[in-house]
Amino acid sequence: MTAANIGADVAVERRAQRLSILALNKSFGPVHVVKDLTIDVAPGEFLVLLGPSGCGKTTALRMIAGLEVADSGRVILGDTDVTEALPKYRDVAMVFQSYALYPHKTVAENIGFPLKVRGVPLEQRSAAVRDAAAQVHMEEYLERYPRQLSGGQRQRVALARAIIRRPSVFLMDEPLSNLDAKLRGYMRAELKHMQHELGVTTVYVTHDQVEAMTLAHRVAIMDQGVLQQIGKPREVYDNPANLFVAGFMGSPSMNFIDGRVENGRFESDGVSLPLLNGAPAGPVVMGFRPEDATVVDPGMGQFDAKVFTAELTGDVTLVTIVIGDKSLAVKMPKEYEVDFDSAVAVSLPLQNAFLFDAHTGNRLPAQFALPPGQ
Amino acid sequence: MTTDDLTQIPSRPTGIARLFEAPQMGKMSPAGCVIVYSLLFIWTGFVLFPLYWIAITSVKLPIDVNSGPAYLPWIDFTPNLHAWRDLVVLEWAETLKPYRNSVIIAFFSTIACMFIGSMAAYALARIEYKPKFGTILMFVLLMAAASVSVGVWGVDWRLASASAAAIFVLLARALGRRFKRSVGNSDILFWMISQRILPPVVTVVPVYMMFQSVRLLDTQFAIILTYTVVNLPIVVWLMYDFFSGIPKDLEESAQLDGASQFTIFYEIVLPLARTGLAATTLLVMIFAWNEYIVALFLSTTKAQTMPILVAAMNAGEKGVLWWKMSVVIIIMIIPVVLMALVLQRFISRGVLLGAVKG
Repeated sequence: MTAANIGADVAVERRAQRLSILALNKSFGPVHVVKDLTIDVAPGEFLVLLGPSGCGKTTALRMIAGLEVADSGRVILGDTDVTEALPKYRDVAMVFQSYALYPHKTVAENIGFPLKVRGVPLEQRSAAVRDAAAQVHMEEYLERYPRQLSGGQRQRVALARAIIRRPSVFLMDEPLSNLDAKLRGYMRAELKHMQHELGVTTVYVTHDQVEAMTLAHRVAIMDQGVLQQIGKPREVYDNPANLFVAGFMGSPSMNFIDGRVENGRFESDGVSLPLLNGAPAGPVVMGFRPEDATVVDPGMGQFDAKVFTAELTGDVTLVTIVIGDKSLAVKMPKEYEVDFDSAVAVSLPLQNAFLFDAHTGNRLPAQFALPPGQ
Repeated sequence: MTTDDLTQIPSRPTGIARLFEAPQMGKMSPAGCVIVYSLLFIWTGFVLFPLYWIAITSVKLPIDVNSGPAYLPWIDFTPNLHAWRDLVVLEWAETLKPYRNSVIIAFFSTIACMFIGSMAAYALARIEYKPKFGTILMFVLLMAAASVSVGVWGVDWRLASASAAAIFVLLARALGRRFKRSVGNSDILFWMISQRILPPVVTVVPVYMMFQSVRLLDTQFAIILTYTVVNLPIVVWLMYDFFSGIPKDLEESAQLDGASQFTIFYEIVLPLARTGLAATTLLVMIFAWNEYIVALFLSTTKAQTMPILVAAMNAGEKGVLWWKMSVVIIIMIIPVVLMALVLQRFISRGVLLGAVKG
């Protein structure tokens, strides 16, 4: 599916603009933070830039905003090349991780500031402020100062300030990371709803893969300044392009077993599995997700193991098992109970297991041979 | 098990030790209270007594001043407004002139200093400068060469400085990129504050000669200019700190909201640096108001300031006129006290509360 189709199925407003970044590069001194980043964001699309801290995602966002100058590459917004434009001339609004509210201005003045600097007359402005505040349910707090608000309320004010002038692009830099877990879940839903309503092209930076999965039309995963994979959340989750993506998406993360391909089989300590099409011999890593495997009685699965711990997290029981010196996680139903140190086996639908090149980290096309009956 | 079964640790010490322990966290012990408040009381007397002494001296007759200490009006001596009448009524024109000079000089030098200094400090806090070490050295050497050629070989100063500047521009363009070592903002900041290392007495003679050569001696302008230059390092140094403390996010957010650099400075940065502005203004104004040595050199009659007038009371042909001096000092203190009261309400903490984080 191309990016253009994705934008089509959300409510696209007339203002929604395409955002393209082409081969962006940025270095801070000797550190190459963003390397040849190329992403095309469809009008009205919600794109999430996901990656661990220091992967260059915030720098990429700041280059789109114009707060950092790119060393090379282009930023194109709609039909305009804005690579050289100052932030105030780009039609973008940004929500900062710190909210960046003006502490000496009231909520109403904060929200109305983008219109004030554009010389919108007071009457029109206060009407717009009330509208924007209503959209984030903050009408009753207009006369307060930011210091009198809670974290979630400040976050809403920051959002209202971003939506008041109907920008072509929203940029959000980890806007939910300063909220507590419960509020974060709530604001996440609000945010998704609001973006859908407004239909504004959005680029959202986060290191939280749950946020990425739930909010995004498409996720772009970055590591060490390089784009690893871009696609719908489900595609990225089900078909990781490499070890990094496979390990980053999902919680608990994917289980990895280091091994070798020998004589058409995957061989590791205590694990030996047949492969279908000829994978080249050499070191590989096998991966499977905790929820795809099940813990079964010894001898009933693909490989034997020993239980290390079993933790009830509420909705599932997370079983940690050990094979040799490797520990693996398996999600079991919450009713499941097992003694520590007992001998078990792992049963795995092998169509859900992945094989990666141990050197490059890239996904190998090789598939495991399914035993009869699977 | 009930709470009665629990072992109790003694909640408070007993006896004399009780006096030395705080009843709660965040409170002082009784003994501490006594010691601290006695010290504060003594210090208050120490600070306020000279003011009281000046106040009563201003209403004493010369005989009361000279016949030994007299402390209490109406008991030790009879208050008399003769000194006030002399200075405020009879010689008002002569008192007013230095007074007006002082007000004008302090006001304008403070305004100029705050205006230039805060902008310089903001630039230093937000823009990264990398002047090349070699370029600076080249500039200094060329200017030194120009000075030597004027002083020693008698070259016309216009010719010398123009050619030095021209050579500098050409060389800087040609060689600028070759210089590797550069200095940063912190070096610039240190250079600024280093301007205050020399005591004023050392620099005041060259300053005097400079103003003499441009015929600006004994003018308010010369003193305003000198005070502005002398106080600039303090303003830059203090305001730099205040501006650095403002989260950068706020300014970036304002940029994205569409504000221009000057809108950001006046709408966002200055209101948030209000505490610093008020404190620095007060400090700089008091420096200018109290300054003595520069004013002594640069003014003779027309531009004379209050400190000079006070000092002059010390050197009259009739001996030291303590009563008049006290009146002048009281008049001199009033504006500073008023200013401090006005600015004091801005000097409160917590302006940045609620800007960032939850």
